[in-house]
Amino acid sequence: MSLKDIIAPFSVWKRAFEKPYTTKKPLDERPGAARYRGFHINDMNKCIGCGTCEEICQNAAIDLVPVSKTVHGDSGLRPKIDYGRCCWCALCVDICPTSSLGMSNEYIWIDSDPEVFRFIPGHDDKPWNNSELGYRRAEGYDLLEGQRVAMPMLSFEESKKSFVEMVQGYSAEQARLEADRCIACGICVATCPAHMQVPEYIKAIRDDDMGEGLKIVYNANPLPASCGRVCSHACEYVCAVKHKGEALSIRWLKRYIIDQIYLGDYQKVLDEGEPGNGKKIAVIGSGPGGLSAAYYLSLLGYAVTIYDANDKAGGMLRYGIPEYRLPYNQIDKDVDYITSLGVEIIQNTKIGRDIPFSKIYDEFDSVFFSTGLTDPYGLDISGEDLKGVIPGLEMLDEVTKGLVPDIGSSVVVVGGGNVAMDAARTSKRYGAEVTILYRRRKEDMPADEEEIEEAQGEDCILTTQAIPLRLEKGDKTRLKLYWGKAEMVSEGPGKRPKPVLIEGSEELIECDTVITAIGQAADYSFLSEEITAKLSFKRGYVEVNEFYQTADRKIFAGGDIANPKRDAISAIANGHSAAKGIDIYLTNFRKLN
Amino acid sequence: MNIIEDKFSVWQKRFSLSGFENKSSELAFVQVPADQTVAFITTVRDLDGYKHLVFFTAVDLLEDGVFRLTYMLHNYTTKHDLGIQTDISRDSASMESIHHLWPHGATYQRELKEMFGIDFPGSPGVNESFVLEGWFAMPPMRRDFDTKEYSEATFFPRPGRKTFDTQEYMKEQLYPSEAETW
Repeated sequence: MSLKDIIAPFSVWKRAFEKPYTTKKPLDERPGAARYRGFHINDMNKCIGCGTCEEICQNAAIDLVPVSKTVHGDSGLRPKIDYGRCCWCALCVDICPTSSLGMSNEYIWIDSDPEVFRFIPGHDDKPWNNSELGYRRAEGYDLLEGQRVAMPMLSFEESKKSFVEMVQGYSAEQARLEADRCIACGICVATCPAHMQVPEYIKAIRDDDMGEGLKIVYNANPLPASCGRVCSHACEYVCAVKHKGEALSIRWLKRYIIDQIYLGDYQKVLDEGEPGNGKKIAVIGSGPGGLSAAYYLSLLGYAVTIYDANDKAGGMLRYGIPEYRLPYNQIDKDVDYITSLGVEIIQNTKIGRDIPFSKIYDEFDSVFFSTGLTDPYGLDISGEDLKGVIPGLEMLDEVTKGLVPDIGSSVVVVGGGNVAMDAARTSKRYGAEVTILYRRRKEDMPADEEEIEEAQGEDCILTTQAIPLRLEKGDKTRLKLYWGKAEMVSEGPGKRPKPVLIEGSEELIECDTVITAIGQAADYSFLSEEITAKLSFKRGYVEVNEFYQTADRKIFAGGDIANPKRDAISAIANGHSAAKGIDIYLTNFRKLN
Repeated sequence: MNIIEDKFSVWQKRFSLSGFENKSSELAFVQVPADQTVAFITTVRDLDGYKHLVFFTAVDLLEDGVFRLTYMLHNYTTKHDLGIQTDISRDSASMESIHHLWPHGATYQRELKEMFGIDFPGSPGVNESFVLEGWFAMPPMRRDFDTKEYSEATFFPRPGRKTFDTQEYMKEQLYPSEAETW
């Protein structure tokens, strides 16, 4: 043994009074790093229960469980995490479309009961619920694409010159890229009035299987070439991906499927339906509701005859929507497939004028009417009967029929819905200077956002909070429209503020034409008095049950005349439900009584 | 021409090098056929000063049917890193060992055996568990390993677990009886 070996143990004494390298126990405080992946947190108000976290979790550690109320855009489900399986990889945090999920930097949780380690972050009371520190998805890094694939469109300069379709449609590559953005949560399905299987048909695009896509679309919507262009796309307003920026282009993806398949090939793909059952159904009106009912009734084996007052089928799709939004050959594509199944459409025949309602009531086993809202509301101001004041629908109808509308060089459109936008943009295409007057604010306008943007893009001047006061014959122009400014007055929480005229704020616009587009009412004059007495009506709508059956059990009704949603896709859904209702009525008649 | 490019031209006379990438003044990669790799590594270690094995790893190039092995070496004198890459078939993947050059190479090889299923015959303890005690499935770093399927099969769900499908649940809550959805 050397001298060094003897002395060495004593040398450590020189460190006796230095700060120790070890940590004193028990550990009172040892916080996780600022971005530590500790216990989960979830902002209950931001989370929409889309289930993407559950889908991506590679350890199947997440269940979705009911926590809050289900509303459109929020399933009411919330993630419940099993910490027996979680590996804290944070993929759930990284993928979360709303960024509601995160992780605190807490990592100590001691309990003798293993069951408590399954918990609902943000809902269950935990000390780390409001933790500012911990892992969050890093800025500049995203597993989801928030921007939609840009749709090729005509420029506003080009579009306002003609009736060429403005939206040109996706290429195969663009459609697949856009379809890839879908997280298939299915939140949109509840909001679509027809409950179309959106994630499934988007998957068909990803799989490049257009036949499968067409089948899925036709399960709930027999007018997809039209709807793929002009649907009010309520689905897109609740799309989970919208929380990242822009919603999926659901409507245009549907259009992509339909654009890929020739009408002649439909029959190779779609179900032919049941053989004829010998029963006859009359449908009044060939708009979306009537066509939809006819299609599904035909599949159920009924002989369907549609009576329509116009020259061609399609109703408001054809006579209320301009060709630059919905080309007529696309309506033809939808209609032609329905007629190819044996549905007969008798055009230029108005029930109540050419054939009494009672006649078809007696001759057919059941009647479905979907005649829409055809009587425009007036402005209820003086001078309304002057030459140059025309309803928007009348003007759009003339254009569809190939007539040149007599609008002059300056037009004022009164209204904020899609008809108003269509009338304004159509007037622009005939060379008029256009001003749109709307009584409420821009955000209150019932027209689709893109219709408003496109109208403004095409240089239609939008004047909001403007109330028409009176019309007079003009000097240089046909008309003088006096209008006043409105202030928005609160009507209480949850209600739309009401526009109230500001006294003395009168302004004048000189114009050749005033187009009124503030809504329409139903015209029930085609019904016989006896039938009218049997049906019940509420606020202008005919009352129906869940099968769209009226108080007269033989008569069903749908579309705008029975449904306050007043859009094509709701009418299509009504027609579908009514077809099921008629089938129950005719085959289970005794049981129902 | 810098020093590493000079060296490359020398190496190329002795080995069938298939590629060379000079990433920066401190890092270069060279692609070597599998049957010459250990000989090449021995050469650069003993003759060119790349004495330190920084790491040894693999990438699963599933589409090409190969594992790409990367040996990262460091030269303390020139402070230069050299990545030596070689592709081996994914089927019955096997590679010559380097444990005789660096003892800790055996640890990397044990890890690669466990995570990718690449064998290194003769490497000490290569068949012993590295971190996955009791593992019986496909090596988990292979890209055709389905993590979720493995989790579902292996970790039995705790009793009482129940999940709700978003679409079905919203239907039950918001539109349970609409006829068009039958």
